Amino acid sequence: MFIQTLVTGLAIGGIYALMAVGYSLVFSILNFSNFAYGSIIMLGAYMGYFAMTEIGMPIGVAIVLSIVGSAALCFLNEKLAYSTLRKRKASSLYFMISAMGTAIFLENLVYATIGSRFYAFPQVLTQLNLEFMDISIGVLDVFAILFSFLAILTLHYFLQTSKIGIAIRAASYDMQVCELNGVNITKLIGWVFILAGALAGISGMFLGMKYMVYPTMGWITNKAYIAAVIGGLGSLPGAVTGGLILGVLETFVSAYVSSVVRDAFSFTLLVVLLMVLPTGLFGKFLEEKV
Amino acid sequence: MKAKWLVLALVAMFTVVVAGCGVAAGDDNVIKIGHAVSLTGDSSMWGQSEKNALDMEVEKINAKGGVLGKKIKLVPYDNRADATEAVNVTKRLISDKVVAIIGPAQSGVAIAMAAVTEVSKVPLVATTATNPKVTVDDKTSQVRKYAFRTCFIDPFQGTVAAQFATRDLKAQTAAVVYDVGSDYSAWLGKYFIAEFEKQGGKIVGNEAFRSGELDFRAVLGKIKGANPDILFVPTMQKEAALVMKQSADLGIKAKFLGGDGWGSPDLITLGGSAVEGSYFVNLASADDPDIQTFVKDYKAKFKEDPVMPNPIMAIDGLYAIIDAIKTVNSTDSVKIAEQLEKIKDLQVLSGKLTIDPATHNPLNKPAVIQEVKDGKFIFKAKFVIQ
Repeated sequence: MFIQTLVTGLAIGGIYALMAVGYSLVFSILNFSNFAYGSIIMLGAYMGYFAMTEIGMPIGVAIVLSIVGSAALCFLNEKLAYSTLRKRKASSLYFMISAMGTAIFLENLVYATIGSRFYAFPQVLTQLNLEFMDISIGVLDVFAILFSFLAILTLHYFLQTSKIGIAIRAASYDMQVCELNGVNITKLIGWVFILAGALAGISGMFLGMKYMVYPTMGWITNKAYIAAVIGGLGSLPGAVTGGLILGVLETFVSAYVSSVVRDAFSFTLLVVLLMVLPTGLFGKFLEEKV
Repeated sequence: MKAKWLVLALVAMFTVVVAGCGVAAGDDNVIKIGHAVSLTGDSSMWGQSEKNALDMEVEKINAKGGVLGKKIKLVPYDNRADATEAVNVTKRLISDKVVAIIGPAQSGVAIAMAAVTEVSKVPLVATTATNPKVTVDDKTSQVRKYAFRTCFIDPFQGTVAAQFATRDLKAQTAAVVYDVGSDYSAWLGKYFIAEFEKQGGKIVGNEAFRSGELDFRAVLGKIKGANPDILFVPTMQKEAALVMKQSADLGIKAKFLGGDGWGSPDLITLGGSAVEGSYFVNLASADDPDIQTFVKDYKAKFKEDPVMPNPIMAIDGLYAIIDAIKTVNSTDSVKIAEQLEKIKDLQVLSGKLTIDPATHNPLNKPAVIQEVKDGKFIFKAKFVIQ
């Protein structure tokens, strides 16, 4: 049971990690928590679902469509909701309020147009599982973990080597100095949101396939947010580690204590961590964040 | 001055409307039966079907000359499956002078409505409200004089599930996964455990989760270690589908069993192949051989399948009320309520109805066991407890 719990915890943690990276990416540049991110994930899941069921696309194409669509939405989200605030140099509190507004707006938009019904993805990988020595894990979970790591590695490589990546890292140190050196910050921020949106599309697809698709599914990102804080907001390795730690801890609490106290535990952990380690495990003030 | 005219105009309009109601209420040639039903919102799928079925039955009864030489008139109001709204609806129905009220479908709503009908002395016949507190006042443990129902109650349902597990599925061990935030789920789980142990079975796991939970794998991993014959999941269809899907991920081999909360086509769309071969207790089934005439008529009239089990329970309620009116030869609500209590072996749509005077619940009304097979709900058996 111990190993099974550990494996399950890692599977859950993998999904948290993927979402946490999206949070951290935006935080590293704009220094605020993009609460609208959960709604983008939710819309990504709907896009993938309708692409597969209504248009009959194969799963690979649907994932690509969901990635592209979510990236576009995330980009639009920044242009419509945050860019004017940014130009006026508003404090991050206003960004956060705007983000919450966007989240609630998008959620209600789905309620009003698509409705509150629950949808399940067609069964592609969902019902297969691997078993060895009485430990069982869904193929989808293995796929999710591998894909998460692949996506995060690609992102890491992109940030380390590409011109835009270097500019993003530079901006995460100091946006103003970066701008003074001739970096087009508006374009750069656009790229950050596109990357975060692409991750949202992947997360949405996995969440939808693992559980189901419905208007409030984006609120699971609360957990991703905690994961990002544990790892240190703004740090990508931190987000991944935080996600895995949270997933495993939660699963152990559910299995050995009670699933009822799980969320109480997670949020207590958040508060305690902020008290003793305000910058998380990997977060360093004014040092390399991305 | 303008405001004054506006107020006058409003008062005049109000007077006309009220007077209009008064005329309708004074109509002597009809017997009004109220119907508190959720016609909008999440439960509207069942509510709409319930109303269709009652409309169809009332039409049939009126075509045969009605009751006591008068036509039956159904007064349906939307309660949106909401307790506050339902109380308003009840007050409106009472001012409309209905002789009795059919509905509602939800236990919480029924308990709120019963508080009003008890004072106004109008019988309330709930359709699918399965919580014991609907007909028995929790504080005084006294039966509510004017509250009745045509469905079985949760303890009965839990007993049926446990006896079916031990008798028909030959289960020796069972585990339960329940929603700690839902009275329905928590109590149904308890009733199941009590009866399962009484039948000589062993409970090897009893795990709670919080309402809105999506991932059950942590507790399921624990249950997997205990390897039960049966996993009883007394929840609504959404959680049940996820539990079964995730159990398949973990390689749990137990048979799944649930209550009437599963009875929505969503169980199959959400659960896919993982829900195949599971069983659940329900109030009625469209495949029940006893109700085929009704199903045929309904399909012919509305070009769709009735959404089970609400239409059946509502029609049972209508038959009970009409039988009471005929027996006492009066449309007096108090007399009707007194007669409802005495109903014995009345032939209703789903079988024979006997009301227990002590609790106002039906006495051992057969439950239906349904099986999920090839993406459909199949009628497995009618089940009475021993």
